[in-house]
Amino acid sequence: METSREDVGIAIRSAFLRTDTKQRYSLFFLILFSIILIFVEKIETKPLNYVRSFVKDGIYRVSQMVSYPAKSFGTSLNFIEKHVNLNEEYKVLEKENQILKNKIVQDEFLNLENVQLKKLIDEQVSSHNNLVSSRVIIDKQSPYLNSFIINSGSNKNIKNGMTVLDGKYFIGRIVDVNFFSSRVLLVSDLNSHIPVIIEPEGIHAILYGHGSSNATLEYLPENHKIKKNDKVYTSGKEGVFEPGVPIGKVLINDGQIEVLLFSDLDQITFVNVDLADVELR
Amino acid sequence: MAYLIKQIRARFIELMPLFFLFYISLTGNSVIDFKFLSINVHYILIYYWVLRRPQLLGYGFIFISGIITDVVFGLPIGVTPLNLLVVAAVAAYVRVVTVRVSLINDWISFIPALLAANFIYFISLYFSNYSVDYLYLFTNSVFTFVCYPILWGIFTTLTNFMKE
Repeated sequence: METSREDVGIAIRSAFLRTDTKQRYSLFFLILFSIILIFVEKIETKPLNYVRSFVKDGIYRVSQMVSYPAKSFGTSLNFIEKHVNLNEEYKVLEKENQILKNKIVQDEFLNLENVQLKKLIDEQVSSHNNLVSSRVIIDKQSPYLNSFIINSGSNKNIKNGMTVLDGKYFIGRIVDVNFFSSRVLLVSDLNSHIPVIIEPEGIHAILYGHGSSNATLEYLPENHKIKKNDKVYTSGKEGVFEPGVPIGKVLINDGQIEVLLFSDLDQITFVNVDLADVELR
Repeated sequence: MAYLIKQIRARFIELMPLFFLFYISLTGNSVIDFKFLSINVHYILIYYWVLRRPQLLGYGFIFISGIITDVVFGLPIGVTPLNLLVVAAVAAYVRVVTVRVSLINDWISFIPALLAANFIYFISLYFSNYSVDYLYLFTNSVFTFVCYPILWGIFTTLTNFMKE
């Protein structure tokens, strides 16, 4: 039996337009509404931003609550695992502690020397205390976006583009601010392109995120002499990030220049947001 | 009393797909990642239930769960609901044109649903200036397709419970 064009038309109408089988809304209406929402997302107005912030804050809180049991289970497992490996870890830490103690003495001298030299060249030695500490509330990494949610938003004067630090290491920037929460786009994300400087050579480059694999250095000069373990810092060239924030160290893998971040992005619980005025910079 | 308990149990089992739908959206587990394997449970869940028991999974709920996923994953709001509704649309069409219920029929007709959803996904993220890992999306689609029978089996068992 041949399927006529009318039959297909009837089937499509039946599937898309009818609200049978206890469905309140037709598929066609909802698909149309979704498309409208995508376009509305691009419109930036105060009332719309308020609605977005309100909805997002609400969903983040509910998501945090729903994820809590699974998260607690994972934390308990980690806790048990850590206790099992306690003795081994202690020995490693003891050795590490000894090495670090030796290094501290050396570092103190170098810091002093550095401050004195900076004064000599009339550079302002600035120490910024305008950091806001926040807790990571949702760290579920999207397969498409490496980011997480922190529990501070416009209530703590956080703005888009601000630098986010793990301790003193650069890990990303703010890309979405709500009333009580913000989204941090991590350096490892595909959409992250950070201007950096590689020391000690002082070479400028762009740090490109690649999702799950290590970030890479792009736009390097042709005859660069970058070596393994060279340090990577923010260059501050674009005027958004403060210069000299440590990011990671160089790792050369099959000729590809990658950057191993100083922070383990999977293990972050608290972050610092640098409140220095982005617009002024 | 026994009748009441039976009623509550039946209602609870009927609500399970809906609970699961919102649970995976809120916890961000709609895409499950193992080392090289990644499965989009959201697509399979919606495709199966819209195809088999559409009365248990309303389109409105699918839409809301998509919005939640967008917020949790930080995607432009509207992208995931559109994808999920496209999967639901293919399932609704297949439901209208088929009579026999079998795994093979469902499995094969799941291919156009996946292709359509991914195509919509590309387009919507392209216009929103978002970078996408195409290789990841491809492997995700392949594994989602491959793992469909496993979840089909689980959901069919649940459907049989409902019948009882």
